[in-house]
Amino acid sequence: MVYTKKHPALLIIGVIMLAIWYLADSGLMAPYIEHLGGKKYKYLSEMTSLPLYFGVIAAVIGAWQLFGNHKEGHWDYYSSSIAGGMFILLIAMVVRWFVAPEVAVVSKAMGEVGATGAHIHKLLGLNYVVLGILAGIIIVNVFRVPEWAQNGVRLSRLGLKTGVILLGTLYSAAELRNLGGLSIIMIGFFVLGSVGMVLWLGSRRNVPNSMGGVLSAGMGVCGVSATVAAAPVVQAKSVEIAYTIGTILLWGVGCMFAFPIIGNLLGMSHVQFGAWAGTGILNSAQVAGAALAYQPDGIETLKVAEIFNITRVLVLPIIVLWLAVWYVKREEHATGVNAGRVIFEKFPVFVLGFILMFALSTTGIFAPAQHYKGKYFDNNIKESKMLTAEDVSLLQSEAGKIQRADQQEALGRLIDNRKIMSPDDDATIRGIVNAKLLSKDANGVLKGAHKAVRHTAKKIKAFRDWITWLFAFGLVGLGMQITMGSMKQAGGQPAVIGGIVGFTKAALSLIVVLMFVHEKI
Amino acid sequence: MENKFDRGSALSIFGSDRREDFMALVFALAIAFGVYILVG
Repeated sequence: MVYTKKHPALLIIGVIMLAIWYLADSGLMAPYIEHLGGKKYKYLSEMTSLPLYFGVIAAVIGAWQLFGNHKEGHWDYYSSSIAGGMFILLIAMVVRWFVAPEVAVVSKAMGEVGATGAHIHKLLGLNYVVLGILAGIIIVNVFRVPEWAQNGVRLSRLGLKTGVILLGTLYSAAELRNLGGLSIIMIGFFVLGSVGMVLWLGSRRNVPNSMGGVLSAGMGVCGVSATVAAAPVVQAKSVEIAYTIGTILLWGVGCMFAFPIIGNLLGMSHVQFGAWAGTGILNSAQVAGAALAYQPDGIETLKVAEIFNITRVLVLPIIVLWLAVWYVKREEHATGVNAGRVIFEKFPVFVLGFILMFALSTTGIFAPAQHYKGKYFDNNIKESKMLTAEDVSLLQSEAGKIQRADQQEALGRLIDNRKIMSPDDDATIRGIVNAKLLSKDANGVLKGAHKAVRHTAKKIKAFRDWITWLFAFGLVGLGMQITMGSMKQAGGQPAVIGGIVGFTKAALSLIVVLMFVHEKI
Repeated sequence: MENKFDRGSALSIFGSDRREDFMALVFALAIAFGVYILVG
């Protein structure tokens, strides 16, 4: 069978991308950019590069696919996915650059919502992530995915996995020390609790052991991957796997939209929301979707959520072992299952990739090893970046306003050396700024001193851009896989049990996060 | 879930999750290498 279609779609997509690039680069789009936010519009640099590169690739391969001769084989099969991949990418571009900013403009024109002080698009999380998934859902359910794009839509999970692996570059050992312990405690409690609760409810409601077993892994650990890994251990039938995946999708999609709204209403910090999403939402993609929806212009929430998500995946071998023992004990007819072999065969390798990338990052090849969110401390700065004599006298005149000894000492070292001397001093100085202990001018001097010693690693910034686009690509594709048919698969007992357990986990984890998680990043 | 694709599955063009994981790892390493060489 020859998979590559002699269809003009890919060529047309390439021409559309090149047209976007030309309109942005030549300035013809300037009035529209002004309408979308003018100087505050931050996607112009992306628009003057990405559509050019991908437009040329799409146009050249599109012309070859349309006019060339194609033979059956691996190259034919894999190249047939390019059209769908470019289709998803084009939708992600249009949603990120035009649709989401337009929604923000309309939302702002409508004014703030009541006493919240926020606009409706912020409250509902209507950013490019959510709108991209919605676009995918609308396309697949209203128009259907065109035949020439179907192979490409199946690339979306590859994009998400690649993004998760690259996330490893963004973590520093210091962050893992901060968040790792918290995530292990929370995930350990909630994963084991969810699995136990599903198994208990399943036996109470006379659900087959294979169904209860596979659903418990899906609801407790990490959605589809855990379902697939646990299925052979509990000898689940394909329809039971489908029911479980349907339940996870139904619950996960609801959470993906509801969590950011609740987070905004409660004013949760990035760490709190990341911890909650990483614990309470079932599927990796939907964890990423909710985290990005909560903080579309930064990656801090996503990083925390993924730490929790990765911790959850790392618990998978324990759950598989538990289910293997549980199932064999309950099913007299069950044949012996080699749990160790199942773990070896089904454990998601991309999780190991994340750890590998983290290990590479901690060697300092992408940024100094002590980097924090891609930023790092280095006070080997030029004379021009150091405090002036006027700055020093201003700080000396206001030093008496500070009461705390550690703050006095840090300020004293800054005055003596005309630059911040250590990361600890930097944190202390930032505390003085945040507490607004000094005058506005003195605070400005302190902010300048802080900026002078904090540097952004260009490589980490490049990784952030890659991750943003890989997730945007993956989540639009994910939307294209959410059909009404797959939603209906959640009907019946699995949906009832999934709903009870999912709600309990989300509510309890929210309470725990609000009570015990106060870390800041 | 019925599989209407004669290669891969409804969720992936690859024959198995393991192969998809390895491809993701290859892409991620290629991107990391590119960033390491070309950026900064």
